[in-house]
Amino acid sequence: MKTTLMSCAAACALALGAMGSATAEDLRFTVWTGNDAHLAMLNGIAESFTETHPDVTVSFETIPAGDYTQKLTFQIAGGNTPDLGWMFEDAAPAFIDAGVIENVGPALKAMDGYDFADFSAPAMKLWVDGDAVYGIPFSTSPFMIYYNKTMFDAAGLEDPLALAAKGEWDMDAFRAAAKTLAENGSWGFDFKDGEGYDSRILHALMPPIRAYGGYAWKDGDCGFDNPEAIEAVTVLHDMVFKDKSIVPPGESGDFFSGGSAMTINQISRASRLTDAGFEWGIAPLPTGPAGESPVIGQAGIVVFAEGDQKELATEFLAHMTNAQNVEIMAQFFPPARKSVLESGVLVEANERIPADQMENVADAIENGSVLPSSKNMPQILAALKPRSDALWRPDADVTKALGAICAAIQPQL
Amino acid sequence: MSRANTTSKPARGFRVPGLSLRRREAIEAWLMTSPTIIGFAIFFLGPLIAVMVYSMAEWNLLSRKMTFVGLANYTDALTVNADFWQVMGNSVIFAAGLVPLNMALALALALCLSRPFFGVVFFRTIFFAPVVTSAVAWAIVWKFLLQGEAGAVNQMLASVGIDGPNWLREPDWAMAAVIVTRVIKMVGLNMILYIAALQTIPRDYEEAARLEGATHWQVFKMVIWPLLAPTTLIIMVITTIGSFKVFDHIYLMTGGGPENGTLVLAFYIYQQAFEFFEVGYASALAIIMFVIVLALTLVQFALRRKQVR
Repeated sequence: MKTTLMSCAAACALALGAMGSATAEDLRFTVWTGNDAHLAMLNGIAESFTETHPDVTVSFETIPAGDYTQKLTFQIAGGNTPDLGWMFEDAAPAFIDAGVIENVGPALKAMDGYDFADFSAPAMKLWVDGDAVYGIPFSTSPFMIYYNKTMFDAAGLEDPLALAAKGEWDMDAFRAAAKTLAENGSWGFDFKDGEGYDSRILHALMPPIRAYGGYAWKDGDCGFDNPEAIEAVTVLHDMVFKDKSIVPPGESGDFFSGGSAMTINQISRASRLTDAGFEWGIAPLPTGPAGESPVIGQAGIVVFAEGDQKELATEFLAHMTNAQNVEIMAQFFPPARKSVLESGVLVEANERIPADQMENVADAIENGSVLPSSKNMPQILAALKPRSDALWRPDADVTKALGAICAAIQPQL
Repeated sequence: MSRANTTSKPARGFRVPGLSLRRREAIEAWLMTSPTIIGFAIFFLGPLIAVMVYSMAEWNLLSRKMTFVGLANYTDALTVNADFWQVMGNSVIFAAGLVPLNMALALALALCLSRPFFGVVFFRTIFFAPVVTSAVAWAIVWKFLLQGEAGAVNQMLASVGIDGPNWLREPDWAMAAVIVTRVIKMVGLNMILYIAALQTIPRDYEEAARLEGATHWQVFKMVIWPLLAPTTLIIMVITTIGSFKVFDHIYLMTGGGPENGTLVLAFYIYQQAFEFFEVGYASALAIIMFVIVLALTLVQFALRRKQVR
């Protein structure tokens, strides 16, 4: 009996010891992708980290994108803070403001061979506050127009890529094409993921507003009620209710299944077009009176301030975002490193999108600006949504509705 | 002999020297009820007390800063926050629309389906099936059916020359749409309760009334309806409480829109807690909802007591 007890105790001690050493070198990294190809790539990068850190294991934990910010918040509040994580651009300011993200600036800038200055300044704007650096963007992905070339050809229209090459792809051409395509039996245009009236309001409004020279908010000032924004949103409103070319509220017209001739999205959505059954392409956003105004969606990698191994986590962040691994990630996530953008790696990175179309993506990354964000983003979106509902009525007074949006969100800016 | 019997057979339960029968019975009783008491304390009383404490704090889940603010969350909700009163108004409209419609339809169905006839079980099953159908599937299917021009409901209306509204996108219609779809989902439950109550009413009463020359309407008004009163009261209170607590249906069909037209209290609490992470404020709202539901329950008890007398 005594021997058995001693054996058990020894086994437990060994197991605990083993567990202890594994935990000491285990990094937990939250992501919102469950895509096998993405995870294989991430695990490959983690594997290469073991060349310099042989005892370290990085485990990627997938949280669905829709629940990501909420569940991550609960993990942090519950004391189960991950070491690193992906962070949406609209959530980043609130997390930084709450002090839950580690300043990795001093460590990264001091690291040999990391070349922090290689990241493009516009792409870093969201993640930098003075000398502090709260994250490194791993995906700086501009919004592009996806078009159904088969539908354009059937309607006898020049496609957006051809028009863009001639410098004729502007808001007028976009509106005219959408109207003609709608008259041919499909919807002319669908907002991002069909959610332009709900969870993707800013994705719907910002491209035309910026093309007309407007902005959502800037330095505490709401720009939705400025003349440029009013003009831009009036065009959209007319396209929905007068031209009937944009999928209206309460209807569906999914581009990827052939319901609409055009939509707006990022290059990662090209994976949905593998067996599309029609010819397609991507083109830049239409220009407006303010010229080209690419809009970028961004996501970064952050180290959490309450993680158990911040130093090791920062080392992994540096490894993951060094030039070599940024090149690897470019197949899915457009990079913010200037050297990678200039090397032409991005242009050849996506097997589904031809190089000439990817060049437009690279241009948009260089010239675009990230979607607006704020530390009060959830409150802003909640205040914006009901006023945006009022905007999307057939008889809406656009000026009045945009004024109401500003009145509602101003206290949060 | 009797002494030998007493020593070999304990009276009942366990025996511990020095413990009286009364004490032993008390311990037994506590042991029997302790699982329920512990469960109640852990899963109801504890969280309730915690929510009461949180409701008097400004606590942001993300920053984890908790500051005691007394009754400020309550005064803000009741006197400052204009959204709160819109939300309360929506909750009252939802309840005022859902409860009478649900009860009237449930009673009508029960009257039709309480007597045996060929196929009665089939029809009862048809009307009860939505109750056990997944709320998510139900809401998604109805959201699809209630689309604008392309929705099946509007296509049917168009076939008879009616230009249907964009049900879930127009504030005037969205509340009506969620009420009606909720009624169709839940009416089967109240129908079953009414059928059970109708089947307990002796047929003699009805036959006696008919012998006296009562019409169908008079039989219903003078005999059946009064005898259904206790069931009606219970159904009314349960349905009203349920309507104040509705969340899933709103979350899935309208997300509180359009223009906050279907933003009801339970959904508003969710929004404050899980979108804005303002746990303190959400707790205060939850306590307000608790008080409303408690008041409705007390009204139920009071009315039942009055009826018994």
